[in-house]
Amino acid sequence: MAEIKPTRMELIKLKRRIKMATRGHALLKMKRDGLIMEFREILEEAKEVIGGMVDKYNRANERITLAKAVDGVIAVRSVAISCQYEPKFTIRRKNIMGVVVPVVKREKIRRKVSEREYGVVATTARIDEAVSAYEELVDATLEVAEIETTVKRLIEEIDRTKRRVNALEYRVIPSMQEAAKYITFKLEEQDRENIIRLKKIKSKMAAKEAEKRAREEAAAAAA
Amino acid sequence: MSRITVIGDPDFNIGFRLVGIRDTIDVEDESKLPEIVEGLLGKEGIVVIKYDFYKKLPIHTKIKVEESLEPTFVKVGGEAGVGELREKIRRAIGVDLWK
Repeated sequence: MAEIKPTRMELIKLKRRIKMATRGHALLKMKRDGLIMEFREILEEAKEVIGGMVDKYNRANERITLAKAVDGVIAVRSVAISCQYEPKFTIRRKNIMGVVVPVVKREKIRRKVSEREYGVVATTARIDEAVSAYEELVDATLEVAEIETTVKRLIEEIDRTKRRVNALEYRVIPSMQEAAKYITFKLEEQDRENIIRLKKIKSKMAAKEAEKRAREEAAAAAA
Repeated sequence: MSRITVIGDPDFNIGFRLVGIRDTIDVEDESKLPEIVEGLLGKEGIVVIKYDFYKKLPIHTKIKVEESLEPTFVKVGGEAGVGELREKIRRAIGVDLWK
């Protein structure tokens, strides 16, 4: 408290800051609640999508292992070399309450067997199934890229906002209120001191006046 | 149009090559993994990384991967990073909402 100047100007400034901090605290609390609501909405979807991707990976892995075991690694590799059509998608950005998250717009990921670059006659159904399983996996991966990043970003922002709310609630505002209380107390004390000082001066002056009057009266009586 | 890059061992990558993904990085030497991952930071698109490889990354690279929006990293294989995500939620919200 030693560094605080107990002046009226300082008290006015401090009261303004307390008002602003309180308003900021209320706004941040609203932001935190809004983010949590947004997060809860997306969480269920995230669980489903990530769980789905894990299942699809296991399935794709099974299919390719089977294809490699039965048709041979070389057959699978030769199909892999012939596949040139890359999955098409675009990434845009979306803003959720100041949090920038990606939005993946998937175009064509899954294709019919007839649309694939490799010959259907020379390959087996096992390879076709492996390709289909991987197409599904890539599709799920793109969905996960969007949702997982959104979830992570929202969590980070919730954590950051929560820290700010707590810092304002338990540290900044109470310390400013304490300082304002200290200044008010000091100013009141100064006022009391001034009143006492004025009363003392007044009584001294009254005593001097009375003494002077007594002296004058004594002089008049002597004359 | 954005692109997918896949980081994994040759067995992991071959499946993605079947879908037509050309940017696959076969990691033969795991000590070069942080260098490979950091080399991809700042590039556009999506990076698919094998979860076992992600687990082996040093902590500072993991943080960069987690914070990266461009490219967006997706862990595939194993539990696909659900454990880390769950722990993050628990720390931020205070309760485990992933149940």
